Amino acid sequence: MRNISLSKNRRRARRTGLLLGTVGTLAFGSALAAQETLVVGRSMDVNSLDPSRAFCDTCQVYLTAVYEPLLTLGEDNKTLVPKLATTWENNDTFTEFTFNLNPDAVFSDGSPVEASDVVWTFERLRNLKGSPSFLMDGTQSIEAVDTHTVKIIVEAPNSEFLNKVSAPYTGIMNAEAAMAGGALADESAATADGAEGWFLENSVGSGPFVLTNYAPEDELRLTANSAYYGTAPGFGEVVITQIQDSVSQAQALETGSIDIAMQIDADTAKNMNNPDVVTEIVPSFNFVYFAFMPGSEAMKGKLTPPVREALTYAVDYDGMIEFTVGGNGNKIAAPIPNGFPGTANLMPRSQDVEKAKSMLADAGLGDGFTMEAVYPNDNVYGVDLNIMMQKLQQDFAQVGVDVTLKPVTYPVWREDMANGRADLTAVYYAPDYYGSGQYAAYFGMTEGSTWVSRAGYKSPETVVNAKEGEIYAAALAASGDAADAKYEELAKELMADNVIIPLVSPNLVLAHRSDIQGVRYSACCNLPLAEISRK
Amino acid sequence: MLRYIIRRILGVPFLLFGVASVAFLLSQSTKGDPLSALVPERMMNNPEIVSAVKAQWGLDQPLPVRYVIYMKNLVQGDMGTSFNTRRPVARDIADRLPATLELVTAAMIIGTTFGMGIGLLSARFRYSLFDNAARGFALLGSSLPIFWSGLIMLYIFSVQLKWTPGTGRLDARSTPPEHITGFYSIDSLLAGDWALLGQTLSHLALPAFVLGWSVVGIVARLVRSSLLEALSQDYVRTARAKGAPERVVLINHALRNALIPVLTVLGFTFAYLITGAVLTEAIFSWPGIGSYAVAAARSLDYPAIGGVTIVGATAFLLANLATDIAYAWANPRIKVSG
Repeated sequence: MRNISLSKNRRRARRTGLLLGTVGTLAFGSALAAQETLVVGRSMDVNSLDPSRAFCDTCQVYLTAVYEPLLTLGEDNKTLVPKLATTWENNDTFTEFTFNLNPDAVFSDGSPVEASDVVWTFERLRNLKGSPSFLMDGTQSIEAVDTHTVKIIVEAPNSEFLNKVSAPYTGIMNAEAAMAGGALADESAATADGAEGWFLENSVGSGPFVLTNYAPEDELRLTANSAYYGTAPGFGEVVITQIQDSVSQAQALETGSIDIAMQIDADTAKNMNNPDVVTEIVPSFNFVYFAFMPGSEAMKGKLTPPVREALTYAVDYDGMIEFTVGGNGNKIAAPIPNGFPGTANLMPRSQDVEKAKSMLADAGLGDGFTMEAVYPNDNVYGVDLNIMMQKLQQDFAQVGVDVTLKPVTYPVWREDMANGRADLTAVYYAPDYYGSGQYAAYFGMTEGSTWVSRAGYKSPETVVNAKEGEIYAAALAASGDAADAKYEELAKELMADNVIIPLVSPNLVLAHRSDIQGVRYSACCNLPLAEISRK
Repeated sequence: MLRYIIRRILGVPFLLFGVASVAFLLSQSTKGDPLSALVPERMMNNPEIVSAVKAQWGLDQPLPVRYVIYMKNLVQGDMGTSFNTRRPVARDIADRLPATLELVTAAMIIGTTFGMGIGLLSARFRYSLFDNAARGFALLGSSLPIFWSGLIMLYIFSVQLKWTPGTGRLDARSTPPEHITGFYSIDSLLAGDWALLGQTLSHLALPAFVLGWSVVGIVARLVRSSLLEALSQDYVRTARAKGAPERVVLINHALRNALIPVLTVLGFTFAYLITGAVLTEAIFSWPGIGSYAVAAARSLDYPAIGGVTIVGATAFLLANLATDIAYAWANPRIKVSG
């Protein structure tokens, strides 16, 4: 761990920055007062406001507004564009990455953004062992070459590293201010860091907004950062207000109580005929899937690869989309979202009941069998998991497989998953950044992965696919079309595992008042608030 | 009477001790992974992290040790830190309870006023058109599910007619009054901010009516039946025979006696709604204790579950006490031993 010590010059610069920041705040304050407030309605799922611990959809929106990563994702949802780093380069083997910081960038207290802040932020992210810590997995060294240059070396080729540092969770923090709030970045951070509560009331980023108030499950209030060095955001204040369900959000939007509703489902959107409201339905990168658990006690020797394959033919994939989201969704072949690297040529699965029956008969299960499905009793991204599993129950019944449904709360589901207490489950996934590697790491049947532990439980050999680790490593060592080809190969292996079966990628409704512009869905950042303005 | 009240109040901490103990033991023995809100999925395979988090939150200690620590902290007013919000539970409750109390108080005022009025007039004009219509109105209030009536009311009065504002305690664009009591109506009044007071009341009106409507049904039916029973009593006949005006007979003689069962119901309804107004809070985005309780239960947030249970138990104990005192007021023949 590199010790953070601030040079005299830097302290002077910080003091000057603070002074300028204060003067700027006073001067800017009156201007902001005249500006408007943007109100966004959503069901908040905040688990933390600490960038190194936060991991949720609302967190992505918040972190994007308040902190800035080195890079970000362009409007095409594919291309990386500069943020704090104006230029960057990597070696041919994708093991060394150098970032050159924008010398004009300053934190909200006016102090300059320096390479030491990047080093501190990334080391904290890695050492804290929080939800997004995996983004720093494999980093060998993170060093400040000079005040505005950072060099990162990773242990193995990682062509996706640049995508990872575009994730909002990698937003750069003002190290000095965060340390004053009790944050630690060294190896003791996982157990000794005491700043989580402090981050609920303070923000230390260089983004266009700063945190002014957070009341759990009530509101998240941001104010424009008066020291912001980039283009000023379109609103002086943004309030994300808690509105639980789709219908209530639609009503709030129609009355003008809110300007943007983030979780209106497509059915509700269809029934809105208000000229003051604009709705646009766009494909999302989220998906809902079911998973076989061949390692469960009841399924040992039963959920073999041919049986799993047979059951995938029993599913009515088109009907599932109709049944769960009224047709407002897309089929998805592998557990990698459509539009991500390696998915362009994949063929989605389709139903073939006769083939399923024949394969089950060949496996000696022509008379069917029973399974217990345990899943979270939740409605996510407009998909009610109960309804989805009822449809799956009907589909499996056609081939003689009797599924007992057991919806449970999330903590119970997690305990059951950890103890091999389900034969079948269902859950959801949203991208943490733009890149297919995260799916390989999470869904890949490589030893020690989350889903090998769950699906294989005490018999991991029933699901492990050694080829996937090799293909993933090859994909990380390649770039461009070569990497895409490797991810496609990986996606086909994930499909052939027949463990994780994606069912629906629900569409997203962008709903806002007609005088609001700049609302878009971002694969990395969800809703970039700074781009929104009033016409 | 005073000695009785003091004795009852002195008993409250002991009852709360019992309730807190039961809540602690029940929640700790519930099935589920309490680490789900604390340890990310990807880190569950890392024993170092799991044990560090367990140690940090005291989950590595045996149950009896956890119980002693919890009760010791509780006595000092420390309910622990919420797994969900990462803030002290006492602070979460202090932030959210005034919102619920404000809503429930308003709902009870509406429910009691309309319920008693309807019940009284229904009894007075038994089987009349008014009686039938009022009973229908009351029946609707207690039988319509709140998630439905709330959404419909919002649609009619807020979206279509625009008579009431949208959801929340205030317009999200407004700044809440300075925190004095946590009741926005009182705090804006104390601040002399009439515009904010108006906004607070307009935001409160619809959720309070929706919640109060369910109380109207209960109170109106109870007042009507109790009054009808009282009106058939000898003392009422005697009062009428002595030439007392009907209004005096109805209010001074019959209603006062009919109030006793109503007071019981009102006390417990108030206490129930403190943690039971979940649906109203969800539909109207009201940041109260009910939604906090549901979130705590869903995520197995032990400290928050304990905190909310204590709040609920306190509400019931106080409601019980208040009801007993009200009994004595309503009917001086009821004596309390003290």
